[in-house]
Amino acid sequence: MKKIIQKISAGLNELTLLQKARAHYEAGRYKEATDLFKELLKQSNDAEHKRCLADCYLQRAWAMADKGMHKEACVLWENYAAYGEAPLQAQDAYVLWLLAGKNNHKAYAVLEGFEARQLDEDYPELAAHLGALLLAGCTDMLAHLPKDSALPRHWEWVGEALDAYRNGERERCEQALKNLPFRSAFRDLRTLLKVQLLDAASLEQAPAMLAKIPEASPYRPLADSCLAYLQTGEDFIATMAGLEHLQRRVVAHAKGFSSKQMNLLETLLKQKNQLNDKMRFNLVLQYQEVFGTHAAQAYCQGALANYPAGYNDYRKHFALKDPFEESRLQALLCEQGKNSYDARFYWERCIDILKKNRPADDKKIALILRHMAELAHYDDAVELLADSLEYDADDRQSYLSLLSIYEQNRPDPVKYEEWLERSLKRFPADTDLLVRAAKSAASRKAFKKAVTYAKALLKVDPVNTLAKQLLFANHMAHARRLLKAEKFHLVEKEIQAAEQLSVDKSLRRQAELLRGFYLWQAEDKKQGLQQIAATLAKLNDDPVNMQFQVQMEAGLLELPTAALTRALPAFKDYLLSAPELQRLIAAMEYYDEQLDDRSLLFKALDKIKAPLKKSLQWLLDHETLLLSWCQALEKIAHFELLKHCAKMGNVRWRKPIWLYYQTVAECQGDSSRLDFMALFRLQNAFEDAHAENDHKTAVLIGRLIEQARGAMNPFQYEDDFDEFDEEAFGDDPIEDLFGHLPESVMGRIAKKTQDMMAKTDPDRFMAKCISQYGKRIDPQRLGILLVNPDFVGAIMVLVAAEDLKIDIGVSFEDIVERFEDDSPQFRLPFF
Amino acid sequence: MNSPYQILGVSEQATDADIKQAYLQAVKDNPPERDSRRFRQIQQAFDMIKDEDGRLRYALFHVPNVEFDALLDRAFAQNGPIRPLPAGDFLKLLSTVSIDKMLAKFKQKPS
Repeated sequence: MKKIIQKISAGLNELTLLQKARAHYEAGRYKEATDLFKELLKQSNDAEHKRCLADCYLQRAWAMADKGMHKEACVLWENYAAYGEAPLQAQDAYVLWLLAGKNNHKAYAVLEGFEARQLDEDYPELAAHLGALLLAGCTDMLAHLPKDSALPRHWEWVGEALDAYRNGERERCEQALKNLPFRSAFRDLRTLLKVQLLDAASLEQAPAMLAKIPEASPYRPLADSCLAYLQTGEDFIATMAGLEHLQRRVVAHAKGFSSKQMNLLETLLKQKNQLNDKMRFNLVLQYQEVFGTHAAQAYCQGALANYPAGYNDYRKHFALKDPFEESRLQALLCEQGKNSYDARFYWERCIDILKKNRPADDKKIALILRHMAELAHYDDAVELLADSLEYDADDRQSYLSLLSIYEQNRPDPVKYEEWLERSLKRFPADTDLLVRAAKSAASRKAFKKAVTYAKALLKVDPVNTLAKQLLFANHMAHARRLLKAEKFHLVEKEIQAAEQLSVDKSLRRQAELLRGFYLWQAEDKKQGLQQIAATLAKLNDDPVNMQFQVQMEAGLLELPTAALTRALPAFKDYLLSAPELQRLIAAMEYYDEQLDDRSLLFKALDKIKAPLKKSLQWLLDHETLLLSWCQALEKIAHFELLKHCAKMGNVRWRKPIWLYYQTVAECQGDSSRLDFMALFRLQNAFEDAHAENDHKTAVLIGRLIEQARGAMNPFQYEDDFDEFDEEAFGDDPIEDLFGHLPESVMGRIAKKTQDMMAKTDPDRFMAKCISQYGKRIDPQRLGILLVNPDFVGAIMVLVAAEDLKIDIGVSFEDIVERFEDDSPQFRLPFF
Repeated sequence: MNSPYQILGVSEQATDADIKQAYLQAVKDNPPERDSRRFRQIQQAFDMIKDEDGRLRYALFHVPNVEFDALLDRAFAQNGPIRPLPAGDFLKLLSTVSIDKMLAKFKQKPS
């Protein structure tokens, strides 16, 4: 019984040992596996255990070789050979390990044991490596290579090729290389020599040829050395990084590098990719001789933006002693650091220095002042620009900039006129200034003056269309004024002057129309009326445009329109075609440019409102035209017609641009009137526009949203107040209530709310809320809460989630509690 | 890296006329259909320094923007035309092959 138990126990032990050995072997723990398999082999001479033990030795030999411990690798391989079965693996590696371990004697003995076929066919890589070693000078190996092997034969041809190359005998070299078969152990050397034999014209092929040498080839470092020699800059350094020191020295010598260049190279290779701004800056300072002083200074100056601490070193190395240069550099550095206050201080110091050398440095002063103006706010910019003109009065652009600021950015008509006059004195024949002067005079109703400027403009540029139009418009405006003042004897002269201008046909007919009014008022009513009707018919194909124009022209002359309307064809039931609506848009824009007050334009449009509204229904296939119509109406702020058109367009096309126009019309261009729902819709439209790549619409909607938000929060300070992070106060109730929901769920809910809003309006939604939740809360409290747009938004999310049957973990009571607790979360400092 | 003067190949003392002539020549030598980037570079360089105001403005307000890599290009530039490695150096390279480095690449083949 005892024996049986011992036997079972031994069997179990053996089983456990085998399991352990296998586990180590499979996990790659070959050292532990070796010991256990050795133990197992002591117990039974199992063939499988022997095979595993041999493999453990072989794997350990490779591991040692990977660590560069070639002698240890050799011992382990020999252990492998003791247990392994023929044919033995990694014999080629064993030879190389022996050579690396300086055990040439043993290595040569192994090589002697090889058959020629083995070296040529079984171990081509070993042959390539042995070839490379022969090239490196280990020629004593030749005597131990298998006699019939290809390697010694090829070596002879290689020797001949190298000898020819050394002596500059290109053809003999090429001939010797031709003897080498395609699969020769020296094939990569052949490629290298071929690159070396390329002439200057074919040298561009070199990188591609060198790239063909495989990474594992013993010739790869040589190929990289040849490549580095052909490279410059960053590529050169990258390639050099992979070379051995000796190879780098050869390349540097070939390139004719100085010791400083070599030192710089070695430093760069040591640092590799860890160079930060400071290290680069200091390297450039240290090796400025290598980089060239000018380039080094330029680099360091630019680098100071990222490494300002280097300023003192910069000063020291580049001997910055000129105070002007120092201040200029400081000013530029401050500008780069967005420190406009200090930049201004340094520029002012520059100006003070330059002032000592007046008038020679006046131009520089003016340029600095203009540069400062470019970076300054408008109020400062006008002062700086005006100052700059004290030093250099001939800078046309400064006058134009001043005029532009006084016209658009800081409107000041008095200053504008003052500078316009000064500009014209300096540049009397400048077309831009003359156009401004003519327009300005016309806007002040100084038509005679405007005509003088327009004439001067035509003198400079006789074909200037704008000048002609200006002149024409001014003659016409002057004629109208004379007509209103009943100075009839002067009217004819003005109309003639307008007609004499070689302007286009439609403009001449405008003059003809005015002549009709002149006749009607001053001479013969009947004849005048006929002429007006005839000219209007020539100008327009339809009664609506005729009516619009007569209303405008009569309005401009402050004349009654009843008789005129009667004299023209009936228009109320007329339906405009697409080209006729296009013409009306053009006419609207033409008159809008001439009017200070749009009431006349509105009156004329109101007159033709009925046929216009009817016509649009027939023009619903012309989306682009209707969008132009909306654009024109938005520009003149006629929101009634805009609403009518945009509503139809939105129903028909459901596009963001139509929603935009509808919203603008509904809030009458005043974004502060937009309620939460409208903003929500706009936000969705904004996202849709982006998704559809309709950037133009996205910009329009984005601007409206921005305005609306600005109106809700007029105190949008850019600087200090932004520092207070809104989230720090936790005052976003929507985020508080629904922040826990995953984005995908919120996305579905948002879509649902969008659908809900498309089907209802705010009033109906609120009524629904009151009926649905009114019993759960005091109606008065609910009424108060419903004034808060965020509360409405939160309820919408809740309703949408309920409709979608999503449990969001937030109840109506939670929302009420959150909003009733929404008293200020923080105390103001003085209360 | 190159200043507008270098791009147009004129000195910093060049006159308006010299610069214009250099610009026209550069445009002739580098038409946009050949290398649009180079052509744009030439145009920008000319716009920058075509008149005295421009040159003064460049001198006063230009902040150099030299890339470190461009400096390296300059420091390790090729002197003269590109040629293959000289024969003497190439032969010297052959003797730099070391067994240790070779073995680093001599890896075990999957069995």
